[in-house]
Amino acid sequence: MRTVTKTALLSIATVGFLMSGCSSQPKPLYNYGEYSESYYHAKKELSPDSALELQKAIEYSIENATDSRSARVAPGMYANLGYIYLKGGKTDKAIESFIKEKTIYPESAHFMDRMIKKIEVAEGKTND
Amino acid sequence: MINTKLLTLLTLITSMFILSGCGASYVTKGTEFPKMYEQAPRSILILPPMNESTDAEAKDYYMTTTEMPFALMGYYTFPTEMVSDIMKQEGVYDTEVLYNMPLDKYYEYFGADAVLFTRIKKWDVSYMVLASSLTISIEAKIVSTKTSEELWTYTGTVVVDLSGGNSGGGIGGLIAKAIVAAVNTATADYVQHARTANRKIIHTLPFGPYHELHLKDQGIKLVDQTPVQK
Repeated sequence: MRTVTKTALLSIATVGFLMSGCSSQPKPLYNYGEYSESYYHAKKELSPDSALELQKAIEYSIENATDSRSARVAPGMYANLGYIYLKGGKTDKAIESFIKEKTIYPESAHFMDRMIKKIEVAEGKTND
Repeated sequence: MINTKLLTLLTLITSMFILSGCGASYVTKGTEFPKMYEQAPRSILILPPMNESTDAEAKDYYMTTTEMPFALMGYYTFPTEMVSDIMKQEGVYDTEVLYNMPLDKYYEYFGADAVLFTRIKKWDVSYMVLASSLTISIEAKIVSTKTSEELWTYTGTVVVDLSGGNSGGGIGGLIAKAIVAAVNTATADYVQHARTANRKIIHTLPFGPYHELHLKDQGIKLVDQTPVQK
């Protein structure tokens, strides 16, 4: 009985050691908050509630971006937010977010400019 | 005499311990994926996964797991959901079409340096007489939009023993037992295990421009990820 307990303890200690050896990590590069989980929930069951939850997760991730190794907003977060605004018809706020995305990440400029142009063209049409 | 025996035993135990710690290494990132360092892509366009598994829902669920790990490796990742939506608006609904599109189109439209293709090879639970197991297998590939060359590829497989009870002792058994409790509500856990498969894949990827180790990790040894045959 005693030996079994000892063996079990030793095994647990070993597992703990091995796990810590392979996966000890510093602070993550970005603070995503609950983004991934909310994205999954929205995908699993699309509803006004899950969509709002996702938006809130994105906003949280942006607001708390400095709590990360890069202190930067994660890639795609402003684009995601802008796209939500766009779908909600808030085109000014959408453009504002797309500009923020490409300011932080010049890699996105081509795509963001394309989105902004799309909005401008669409608005031009509605003004006619 | 006794000392020699003891020493041998100690050496054996130590080497086993080290080997079991992180697995045997065969190659380095630099020798395995030289093109990744030559081209040094800054941005990755993550396309919706190609689902080759028997689970129809796997595609949507797996899609929510890829953006974060690739961004955390230091690449600019285009927002997956938005990209997928935009492609649909452009009339491309079929993943097959996306995967066969000329790669320079992705540079033209998004300005992406590279595209990530993922294939869900397996995403299923198999029930057997004495045991059941969950297998998730993902193949990932990064291809240049400028030269159409494959820059990096890796496959991650996760096999989780769902049988609980007597799973044979040893470290594997202990871990499996610990996981068992969480494997009852299917889909959420599938995603959890898909993330584990992603971790296996992602650690072989050279770091991107937003990471401190960008172009400094050629010497990192890669762990053998050959899946255990069951």
